[in-house]
Amino acid sequence: MPKYFAGCDLGSTTGKAVILNASGKVVASALIRSKIDPIETGREVLEMAAGQVEGLDVRDISYLVGTGYGRNEVPFANENVSEITCHAVGAHYMDPGVRTIVDIGGQDVKAIALNDDGSVLEFAMNDKCAAGTGRFYEAVVRTFDVTLDQFSELSLKAKKVVPVTSQCTVFAESELVSLLYKRHPPADIAAGVQLSVAKRVFTLARRVGIRPKVTVTGGCSKNKGLVKALEKVLRVDIVNLGMDPQFMGALGAAVIALRKQGN
Amino acid sequence: MSIYDLKGARVSPMEQARTLYYKAEAYGHIANMGLRVGPLTMLGHLRSKPWLKVLLDCGTLFDMSTKGREGLYRQASAMALSRVVKAITETLEGVFTRPEYTVMHEDLVPPEIIYAMGLNPWMAELLGIMGPLIRSDFAERYIDVSENAGTPPDICSLPKATMGLALKGEMPRPAAILTSNMPCDGGMSCYTVLERELNVPTFRLDVPYNFYDERSTKYFADELFRAVKWLEANTPGRMDWDRLKEICDERNRSVEYQMELWDLIREKPAPLAGEALYLGHMIFMVAMPGRPACTEYMKTMVDMAKRIRAEGGALHNERFRAALWNPPTLVYPELIAWAEQRYGVVTLMDMISYNRHPYIDTKSPQTIMEGLSRIIMQGPMARHTRGPQTNFFTDLFDLYERFNLDMIWMAGHMGCKNTMALNGMFREKCRERGIPLLIIQYDLSDTRVVSPAEIRKQAEGFMETVIKAEPSK
Repeated sequence: MPKYFAGCDLGSTTGKAVILNASGKVVASALIRSKIDPIETGREVLEMAAGQVEGLDVRDISYLVGTGYGRNEVPFANENVSEITCHAVGAHYMDPGVRTIVDIGGQDVKAIALNDDGSVLEFAMNDKCAAGTGRFYEAVVRTFDVTLDQFSELSLKAKKVVPVTSQCTVFAESELVSLLYKRHPPADIAAGVQLSVAKRVFTLARRVGIRPKVTVTGGCSKNKGLVKALEKVLRVDIVNLGMDPQFMGALGAAVIALRKQGN
Repeated sequence: MSIYDLKGARVSPMEQARTLYYKAEAYGHIANMGLRVGPLTMLGHLRSKPWLKVLLDCGTLFDMSTKGREGLYRQASAMALSRVVKAITETLEGVFTRPEYTVMHEDLVPPEIIYAMGLNPWMAELLGIMGPLIRSDFAERYIDVSENAGTPPDICSLPKATMGLALKGEMPRPAAILTSNMPCDGGMSCYTVLERELNVPTFRLDVPYNFYDERSTKYFADELFRAVKWLEANTPGRMDWDRLKEICDERNRSVEYQMELWDLIREKPAPLAGEALYLGHMIFMVAMPGRPACTEYMKTMVDMAKRIRAEGGALHNERFRAALWNPPTLVYPELIAWAEQRYGVVTLMDMISYNRHPYIDTKSPQTIMEGLSRIIMQGPMARHTRGPQTNFFTDLFDLYERFNLDMIWMAGHMGCKNTMALNGMFREKCRERGIPLLIIQYDLSDTRVVSPAEIRKQAEGFMETVIKAEPSK
């Protein structure tokens, strides 16, 4: 029976799983919306990933590492590791040249500085409020009555950026409504939102030092408008890791699992 | 404070008995204070000053500092706390029995001159410091009183607590107040409120902003002379210059032992750490210096450290050595013991303890005053909260090397605007030097801002992610 190694990242809004074979190749990945019960989230996402590998049952995984907010609840996990470490390992695994990671998740933002071997040098987190996180964007797109992807594309069509000063999720909604009522072009307002979030992220990233290469992970990394705004504010090119960046935590956990077996 | 975060060490009945002895001794000091003040008088104080009751909970401080420790380190920790309790009760006794001789002062005023005048020094901040160490939420109701009276919520919670005690009518009323323009705006505003609420004569020392040259030293020495004259005019005290010399000579003797102790804790594993170091310094070198009890304390700790060294070190599983920069975490003193137990981290130094000018030249009143000037002007909470950033970082990086440290834990008190402004620079400088840095975001005296659990979470994240330390089983 071939050996498989897995990482499971139970985030605040999504559950992710990645499975590697003994050679370190990604053979499966899965993502689902987090449920009320983190154990159920873990079970479902792991089964979904295992289902992509012929004949593989979750119980047959050689080593499983849990991470994320719900790392202690990952079923069948052999151990759990902090999401900071897992994101660092995952990003470094995909691109050893990465030195700075900005992870924008569902409910928090993290900035992580790596050294040459991929170890964490420093990290900073904003987990006190939802400003600039996935929850924030969910509130914003409701105001615009579009999907997140549509919002992202909309922001890229801006002719000029309308400043958005509110970063608090609650106050931002009312500010956006006010700006829309003043007949500012939605695209320009959307670009203002992206820039506002990028500036907030910049403040956090600066705490750990911004060294190229820089990459963005987490669900919000799929927001092209935000990535563009980040490149503008950080004054660096954001590197693409070659894999869905939302899976970096789970990938890192899987890599750690792989290494535990001496590979 | 919650000692449930700690695992109990396996110790012999004899060791448990020794710990119990020192705890009982501490309660004995409290009882003696009550007897000497007078039972009826003490009862009156208990009614008017409910904070006195917190002393009866000092046993939890003993439990916190001994539960997870063993051997002579456990004994030294318990002994240190007993001495600290004794010193505090002696101070309170003086305040209660001779209020007309009591001078309230802040921590940047040299108590030596107050002692030498036959007066009782009463550091107003002492309650706000010691109270939370025993009961984490001690200061919170006083903070609320202060904020409800109009104090901005974002200033340091220690002066807020101190003001709150006075606003609530629970601060012992002194004969006079001796304060200064340091260490920060919050501290200065605190004494404005104290002066108003207590309605007693107040003198403010002017600590020079630029404090390195001889001109500044002489200027501040003149300020101290001026303070003496003012105290003689406003209190029953009279300066006895021979007595001041004796006190400063005693202080120098204390310092000799402290320097020896510092040499000892440079060793690996450290023969002493934690409360015995930082609380001992705070009480015997800052709040109540120059007494034979101070020298005795330092000598005892040196002797204990030598014995602990022979035993194999304070922590048999010492893995890391740290400074806890800034004042220690008052609302979560258990952090030090917890870090020892969970990660093998010994805490060896902090901002308050590290002083660059410990000795006083006692040849003449002028040299004594100049020596005291240097101690105050270039000591912590003065040097580190004014002037260029080098004041803050030079000391820190010097001690990092001196004590063979592995990391720096910064107790990032949100209300301390002076030091919080340095956070970004702090990270940059530590990054340049390759020094692992943890900045704990918390409030010195208010658990409602950041809970002890959140403090631990920050420490865990740092230790497991940056240091890659596995928790002890």
